[in-house]
Amino acid sequence: MKIQIVVTGRGYDAAETLPNELTLADDASLEQALLALEEYFPDDRPLPPTCLLAVSGRHLGTVSQFQSITLREGDELTLIAPVAGG
Amino acid sequence: MEAINDSPRLSEEPPQPQDRLSPEELKRYDRQIGPGVLTVAGQERLKRASALITRVGGMGGPAALMLTMGGVGRVVIAHGGEMISPDLNRQVLGSEPDLGKPRAEQFSAYLRTMNRFVEVEAIDHEPDDAEALELARQVDLIIACPPTFAERLRLNRAAVSAGIPFIDAAQWGMTGTLVVVQPGQTACLECLYPAAPPFEELFPVVGAISATIGSMAALEGIKILSGEGQPLWGQLLSYDGRQGRISQINLQRRADCDCCGNL
Ligand SMILES: [Zn+2]
Repeated sequence: MKIQIVVTGRGYDAAETLPNELTLADDASLEQALLALEEYFPDDRPLPPTCLLAVSGRHLGTVSQFQSITLREGDELTLIAPVAGG
Repeated sequence: MEAINDSPRLSEEPPQPQDRLSPEELKRYDRQIGPGVLTVAGQERLKRASALITRVGGMGGPAALMLTMGGVGRVVIAHGGEMISPDLNRQVLGSEPDLGKPRAEQFSAYLRTMNRFVEVEAIDHEPDDAEALELARQVDLIIACPPTFAERLRLNRAAVSAGIPFIDAAQWGMTGTLVVVQPGQTACLECLYPAAPPFEELFPVVGAISATIGSMAALEGIKILSGEGQPLWGQLLSYDGRQGRISQINLQRRADCDCCGNL
């Protein structure tokens, strides 16, 4: 199955190296999707542990602590690296 | 149909004579009273309302300006330091002649020139924990626009303790986010970030994004304080100007949140 990947916030540079779409086994979990994404990140610039995670608009926690759900075809995985500029 | 939202601090009491809009005020707000915008009653609720905006830089400046021009009765701004040249790629409350002058004093003076019907108060520093809580108890809404998560989480905690709505407006580069909190009903900022993300002192910023997010924060504030429209309660809205993408997330409360878990 395929899911969409959206990276935004402080992680704009990561967005430029990540695929817009990820192919996963049917019924793959969010945890498996994140593991699959890891290979696209440079070793010295991983996503911050505080990066927010959402699947199709549903908030599931941060990269360091999240609820791993089963993904479905066409889901949109959104990663928002926190921003704090004023 | 008049859409009344469920802001926790909207007064149920009928307005007193001094809360009514004068003919001059009705004339001032003529273009924002009517179908699709505010009712007279909503505009009167704005007149009775107060908001704290801290800080008033690239986002807080436009937010304070829009609340002042929109007719929020009492606008309190907090910002320390003096205007410096790099501020001027995004600061709408100051200009070249203000360089080197105290921000809070200059910005509040400018805001007063924009709407004589609004009371503007200035605090010339960033409130600490105790002062933030004290201020939260004196206003109906906080809009947080500081450059650090430590300050944002402090203001969130103050708003939750005081039981008033809280809007977090933040940006980086060409991207910004908005989080709208109704204490005890929706996720608070600490539900999202139990640990403060790292501090980045010199974040990049394009004035167009900070003004956009600041204005969006003001619009949420106007809806909340007027009781009209549908605020983005419990939502995180991300506008990524670089990618031309808007994302919206339904935030989940954390039962073990140190800030709001007991509400
Ligand atoms: Zn919370």
